[in-house]
Amino acid sequence: MTDPLSALFTLLIFPGFGFLFVCALAVQWIDRRVAARLQGRIGPPWFQPLADFIKLMAKEDMLPIGAHEWACATLPLVSLAAVLTAALYIPVGGRAASAFEGDLIVVLFLLSIPALAYFLAGWLSVSVFSIIGGNRSLLQYFAYEVPFLMALSGPAILSGSWSISRIAAQQSQTAWMVLVQPLGFLLALVGLIGKLKRSPFDIPKAKSEIGAGPLTEFSGRKLALWHLTLHMQMVVGIFLLVNLFLGGCGNWPSGLAVFIFGIKALLILLILSVASVLYARLRIDQLANLGWRVLAPLALAQILVIIWIGIR
Amino acid sequence: MFMEVILQALRETFPAETIEAQPVPISETFVALSPDCIHRAAQVLVERFDLRHLSTITGQDTGSEIELLYHFWDGGGLTLRTSLPREEPHIATLTDLIPGAAFYEREVSEMLGVTFDGHPDPRPLLLPNDWDKEQLPMKNDQ
Amino acid sequence: MTNEQSIDYPTKRLTDQMTRMTIPIGPQHPALKEPISFLLTVEGERIVESVLRLGYVHRGIERICQNRNYVQNVHVVERICGICSHIHTTTYCQGIEALTGLEVPLRALYLRTLLCELERIHSHLLWLGVLAEDIGFTTIFMYAWRDREIVLDIMEELSGGRVAHAVNVIGGVRIDVDQEQVHSILARLDELERQIETLLGVIQHERTFQVRTRGVGHLSAEQVRRYCVVGPTARASGVDVDLRRDAPYAAYDRLDFQVMTADEGDVWARTLVRVQETIESLHMCRQLLTGLPQGVLTVRAPRRVPPGEVVSRGEAPRGELVYYVRSDGSDRPARVKIRTPTLTTLITLPDQLRGVHTADVPAVLAGVDLCIACADR
Repeated sequence: MTDPLSALFTLLIFPGFGFLFVCALAVQWIDRRVAARLQGRIGPPWFQPLADFIKLMAKEDMLPIGAHEWACATLPLVSLAAVLTAALYIPVGGRAASAFEGDLIVVLFLLSIPALAYFLAGWLSVSVFSIIGGNRSLLQYFAYEVPFLMALSGPAILSGSWSISRIAAQQSQTAWMVLVQPLGFLLALVGLIGKLKRSPFDIPKAKSEIGAGPLTEFSGRKLALWHLTLHMQMVVGIFLLVNLFLGGCGNWPSGLAVFIFGIKALLILLILSVASVLYARLRIDQLANLGWRVLAPLALAQILVIIWIGIR
Repeated sequence: MFMEVILQALRETFPAETIEAQPVPISETFVALSPDCIHRAAQVLVERFDLRHLSTITGQDTGSEIELLYHFWDGGGLTLRTSLPREEPHIATLTDLIPGAAFYEREVSEMLGVTFDGHPDPRPLLLPNDWDKEQLPMKNDQ
Repeated sequence: MTNEQSIDYPTKRLTDQMTRMTIPIGPQHPALKEPISFLLTVEGERIVESVLRLGYVHRGIERICQNRNYVQNVHVVERICGICSHIHTTTYCQGIEALTGLEVPLRALYLRTLLCELERIHSHLLWLGVLAEDIGFTTIFMYAWRDREIVLDIMEELSGGRVAHAVNVIGGVRIDVDQEQVHSILARLDELERQIETLLGVIQHERTFQVRTRGVGHLSAEQVRRYCVVGPTARASGVDVDLRRDAPYAAYDRLDFQVMTADEGDVWARTLVRVQETIESLHMCRQLLTGLPQGVLTVRAPRRVPPGEVVSRGEAPRGELVYYVRSDGSDRPARVKIRTPTLTTLITLPDQLRGVHTADVPAVLAGVDLCIACADR
C-alpha cells in the first residue's frame, strides 16, 4: 500500500467507494425486484436506485425549526465514513485494502456507529415521530447487537484469529463455518436483519405508525446520504457474513474469485429479501423479548459449543 | 319485539299522554311524546325491555317547530317523536342511559342549535372550530 | 382555518418519572386513508388518552339533498362514500319506493343484491389489504388488492364503473346481464374463492400476523351494546346482528346464508369475521346469478312523491345504514337523514385505544374499518 496511486485506486474504485456505491445500487435493485416478484408485482427497472439517488440529491433540503442544523448535516457523513472505513478491512474476492490481527473487532465497532448516528438523527431533528423512532432504534440496537456480536465471534474463536482475512482464508483449508456452526450463521442473519432495520424488524421506521421514524424530517441531500449509508451497510454486512461463514472466495484464481464471492453474496441477499416479505412487522417489545429471551441464549449456547469443540 | 307490550308499558308510564302507534314504512312504528317524557320513555325501553340499540337521532326543522326523532331498533323499528320550540330548544340527554347517543346529540346540537342538558362533551362534531355558532345549517330560516 | 387549538409540539411533562408526549395522528398520516384527527397522549409507549376530531370531509350532504329533486339525490348519495356507494343508493331508493308504493320487479332486486354483495367483497378485500399494510405485512396487502381486481373488473363489466356504479334508479336498476356474462362471472368467482381461501389460511396460521392482532383493540359485548356498535365490529364481539337476516330487504329473503360471528372481540376476531363474510358473500353471489329470474328491470316512478315519512335500513359492509326521508309532496325531499355505520365505531375508539401500545394504534384504527367520508357526510 505504499504506492499512492494504487492506494487511491483501492480507496476510491475497488474495493472502495466506487465499487461499494455500485454494489449498493445493485443490491437495492435485486432486493426490490425479488420482493416484488414474491408479492405478485413486477418491480422497478435496473436504473431505479440510481434515479432515486440523483432525484434526492437534487431536492430541497430543509429541517424543522429547533433541529440541530450542524449535527443533522454531519451525522449522515459520519455514518458513511464509518461504513466505508469498515469496508476497507473486509476482503472482496480475496484481497482486503488492509488487514491486521483484530480487525474484526474494529469493523464491528465501526458498524455500530451508524446505529448511534441514526438514533441521534432522530433525537436532534425534534419531531415527535423521529424522537419515538430514535428511541425504538436504540431499543432495537440492544436487542439484536448482543446475539449478533456473539454469533460473529464464533468463527473467530474457532479459527483462532480475529482478522477477517485470515478467517476467510482458513475456511478453504478446513470447512465453511456455516457447516460447523449453522446456528451461528442463522443468528448472524437474524442479527443482520435487525441491524439493517429490514422487515420484520423495520420497527424504527414503521411507515404506518410513525411516519419515517428518525429520518422523518430529513430531505434532499441529507436523506440521499442516509439511504446510501444504509444500503452500503447492507453490502458490507453481506460481505462480512460471506467472509466469516461462507468461506470468502476460496482458493480460486483472481478473476473467478470475485465472481464466486459475488454468487455467495447473492445467496445471502436472496435470503434477506425473502425474509422481508414473509412476515408482519414485530412490535418493539416483542422484538426485545425475542432478542433477549431467544436469540441471546442461543448465541451463548453456540459459543459454548464452539469452545468445547475447540478444546477437544 | 313485541310492539303492543311496549306500547302498553308506555301507556302505563305516561297516563297523561295519548300514546298512539303510527306505522311508517319500512317496518317502523312512530310514537309521539312530549319532550320531558323522552328520557323516561328511553329508561323504560332500556331497563324493562333491554331495547338499547339507538340507530340515530334525527333533528328536523318542520317550519313551525324543531322535531326530534329517536330511532330505536330491535328486529323492528320504534321511533319516539317529540317537538321542541324553535327558540332556545333544549331537552335532557340520553347519554346516561345510552352512551352511544353522544355523537348523534352533538350533531343535532350543532346543526339545529338544540341544547342537550347534561351532555358530557358538547363540542361540535362535524363543523369546524371557527364556525359561527349562530349559523345553524339545518335550520330553514338560514 | 385550523381545526385544533395550538398544540405544544411536542409536549413533554414529567409525571411520575415518565414522559408524556402528545402524538398527532392525522389529519394527514400514513396510517389513515382519510382525514381524521386523533391527539394521543402517550406515556412511554402506552396510550393514556385520546381526543377524536371529525369533520374534515364534511360536505353537508343532508342539506344538499334538500335542494335537489329525488332523482338527482340518487347521484348525490352515491358520492357520500367510494367503497359503499351502492348500498347508499339501494337504501335511499328503497325508501323512496316504499313512500311511493312502488313494487320493484324481482329481477331488479336480484341485480341490486348482486351488486351489494360484490361491493361487500370488494370492501372487505380492500380493508384486509389496509390492515395488513398497517401492521407491516405488505405481502398480504399486495395479494388482497390483486384479488380485489377480479371483483372490480366484474363490477366494471356490469355497470361501467369500478367504484361508483350508478346502478340503482328509483323503481329498479338500469343494468342487465345475459347468460354469457353470468357464466364468465361465475368462473371468476370460483377463482376468487380459491384465492380468498388461501388468504384465510395464511391469516389463520401466520404467527406474526396473530401476534400483532390478537388482544389488540378489545371490545366486550357489553361495550358494543352500550355504544350501539353495528356491523362486523359488533359481530366480532359476539353480538349477533345482521340486517340481511333480521330485516331482509332487496332479495335477501330468498337467499340462504350464514351470519359470521366471533367471540374474542379483538382485531383478530374482526379479521376472521370479515374474511369469512367475504366467502359467504361469494356463495350468495353464486345463488343470485344462478337463480336470476326473468322479468323487467324497472317500473315507472312518479316525479312527485306523496307526503309521508320513511325509515329505510340496509346492511352496508360496515354495518347498519339508516336513511330517514320526509316528503312534503313536492319533487324535493323536505329532510334526508343519513346515519352511517362508521359513526358507531368511531365513538368506541377512545375506549379501544386506552392502554394500547403506540405501535398497535394503526392496527386498532384499521380494525374498525374506518370510512370517514361516510361518517362525515
